[in-house]
Amino acid sequence: MVRPVRLEVRVQPGRERPTLAVDGELDLSSIPLLAQHIDAQIESEQEALTLDLSGVSFMDSSGLRLLIELNERAERDGWSLSLIAPQNESATLVLRMTGADRELPFEGPPLS
Amino acid sequence: MALDLAELILDRAHNAAVLMDEQGVVTYWNPSAERMFGLAREQAVGRRVADLIVPERLRETHLAGLERFLADGTGPVLDKRIEIAALRADGGEFPVEITISAHRDADRWFFHAFIQDISERVHGERDRERLVEELRAALRGSERRFDAIVGSLTDPVTIRDREHRFLYANRAALAHLGFESWEQLRETAPATIMSDYVVRDEHGEEVAMSDIPSVRLLRGETAEPLLIQTINRETGVQRWNLLKAAPLLDERGVLDATIMIIEDVTEQRRAELRNSFLADAGAALASSLDYEQTLRNVAELAVPGIADWCAVDLVDDEGDRKTVAVAHVDRERLSLAEALRSYVPDRVDPDEGLGRVLHTGEAVVYPHITDEMLAAAAVDAHHLELLRAVGFRSVLIVPMRLGERILGAMTLVSAESVRTLDRFDQELAEQVAARAAAAIENSRLYSERSRIARRLQQNLLPEQLPAIPGYDLGSIYLPAVETSMVGGDFYDIWEAQERWLIVIGDITGKGVEAAALTSLVRHTLRAAAEFHSSPAALLSFVDATLKKRPSLSVCTALCVALEGDTATIAVGGHPLPLYMTADGVREVGEHGPLLGAFPGARWQDSTLRLTAGSTLLAYTDGITDAQGGEEERFGLGRLCDTLVQLAERPAAEVIDELVRRLDEFQIGTHADDTAAIALHRSADGATPSGRETHAVLRTGTITTPV
Repeated sequence: MVRPVRLEVRVQPGRERPTLAVDGELDLSSIPLLAQHIDAQIESEQEALTLDLSGVSFMDSSGLRLLIELNERAERDGWSLSLIAPQNESATLVLRMTGADRELPFEGPPLS
Repeated sequence: MALDLAELILDRAHNAAVLMDEQGVVTYWNPSAERMFGLAREQAVGRRVADLIVPERLRETHLAGLERFLADGTGPVLDKRIEIAALRADGGEFPVEITISAHRDADRWFFHAFIQDISERVHGERDRERLVEELRAALRGSERRFDAIVGSLTDPVTIRDREHRFLYANRAALAHLGFESWEQLRETAPATIMSDYVVRDEHGEEVAMSDIPSVRLLRGETAEPLLIQTINRETGVQRWNLLKAAPLLDERGVLDATIMIIEDVTEQRRAELRNSFLADAGAALASSLDYEQTLRNVAELAVPGIADWCAVDLVDDEGDRKTVAVAHVDRERLSLAEALRSYVPDRVDPDEGLGRVLHTGEAVVYPHITDEMLAAAAVDAHHLELLRAVGFRSVLIVPMRLGERILGAMTLVSAESVRTLDRFDQELAEQVAARAAAAIENSRLYSERSRIARRLQQNLLPEQLPAIPGYDLGSIYLPAVETSMVGGDFYDIWEAQERWLIVIGDITGKGVEAAALTSLVRHTLRAAAEFHSSPAALLSFVDATLKKRPSLSVCTALCVALEGDTATIAVGGHPLPLYMTADGVREVGEHGPLLGAFPGARWQDSTLRLTAGSTLLAYTDGITDAQGGEEERFGLGRLCDTLVQLAERPAAEVIDELVRRLDEFQIGTHADDTAAIALHRSADGATPSGRETHAVLRTGTITTPV
């Protein structure tokens, strides 16, 4: 049985920095979709990117890997990445469990 | 384990490797260190590093640095490359590049250093500086002394005045520039000489006269050495040169002329390019088990790595060929390449070109394609027109063969670059083609998904669970259905230093690379367990190993060291293990960071007494993330509810019930790898007779036909 991808990505041009708002479940099946959006965004705007994950209801280790890779890429290519943490507690579990909540550029106070 | 794997690897390392303890005393010394310092292992181990390889004038600093690190943990020299002088046993000094890391084992620090001898590099730079000095001195003195030094030098040397006219060229320079006599050169304008060549820098950008270091000096700029490739427009011969310029100043310090030394670095540069090309090709070949995609990746790499065009043909059992990849440096010209390819019949002439290569398995090279050759090869007028439009310079066709079997051929064409494909290109292309053939064969052999999964799994999981006295064990391994994700979860159980180690982890990554990483992590853990006793130190060691890899390599891991009824637990980015007793189920241990991901990461050991009848369950997130209906996940709550009912039951029962509950909950198949290990302490502390170990290893779920 093939599950539908339960993820939605919206570009929010109105903000100060280009922002991608992500809603839904961030796992193996939905990672490629988000990665495509991010690539397209970085290609058009090389200075900064905010990834708003506040609408993410689930995230697994493959979602985390994408964030770590994106952070490395931002550091290497010299643009600024900013993350807004998920509000759903179970979605932040993988971030807290791995120490990523402290190491990745999340806005606001630490999760744990 | 009698054989220490880490030592086995270090024993074969090209770099010298030295281990040192808190007292600064050598505890390990590899064969490369023996050669580099001229000191046998027996002579080195047990003595202070300060007395062995640190020159006397640096000894104080070395000892003070060690002391300071032990006192307050500051180590400014740690984990970076440092150039410093080292001492050989015979008292001679030589320059080295050294990288030192500190590790904590239990309550003690130890340090390891990798050392590389860089004498040659340093001397090369010094020689050139000295040469320029001598040139300056000589030019102020007599002409004869100058020519004696420079005339016989094998590197081309030229001197030009402020108007960039040649004042001097040694014999090597004349030959290099293609002139027979000094008079002939003097009468030729410098720009004319350059126009005989296509000149590009190392990035392939065209180099103008104004970029040449000596010309930059004349403009009053500083002139960094410039690496250029030149292709003779007439012969198509390619050379790599390193241009270095120095100013000649008159008595008042005004620039009078410039000296330029042209170093021929063709061999080195080509060797470098070959190595990096083969490394990239190796990575491309290992990137996917879909061989047509793999071949397209390799063809893309071959341009401009080797040539301007690359086509890959495969041949089937009937001898019919099929083009599976065409790549061109200029994407706009790809359609021309494809149009031409359509003229090649499926059954090719076994005596000519591609047909001959597929027939004989030997490479064919056409260094200079002439118009007559094109006319002879053309089928009709339109074909000839297309052929002429390409502007062929050279063609090289190499077989993709495996022993006696010929799987296909790679065709490489140079056109736009005007470069003649030579023996070097042929060797490189043959190596790539041989690797591609092996990759095709591999992916054909293992194209059945279930077979890949089973094979890799067999290699990545212990063959069977060992029997641990006083415990019974159970395990689950349910691989993800999407087999491109093979290499996700792993676990391992083994005995080291009179205790049992239990490790479970999750590598996020894809395909063969992730499988390789899994095997690296397992082997690193097994090797490190021989000299680290604490699980936190083991995780730290794996973390350091992962960080040294060129591409992002991260994993979660949970490590338990079991000694009698005491379990020491360290957790890196992994779900905490669950401790099950008659009183209930709770998480034990402390969360620590993911391995390989973050700088300055630290892990904590936690200790736990396993009471009789209790069970420790270590699992991967495949269990809690398993998907049910209505966007539901199995979750920690459901897992604990399941386990509460299983307190004090044998490990086999825990495992079977857990698998049953997962199957019941789950809609569809496993999206991610799922693994768990249950460790049950027998009620009476003795090994129960009968089933001590029980493994649920399900590979049957992945028989989806390709």
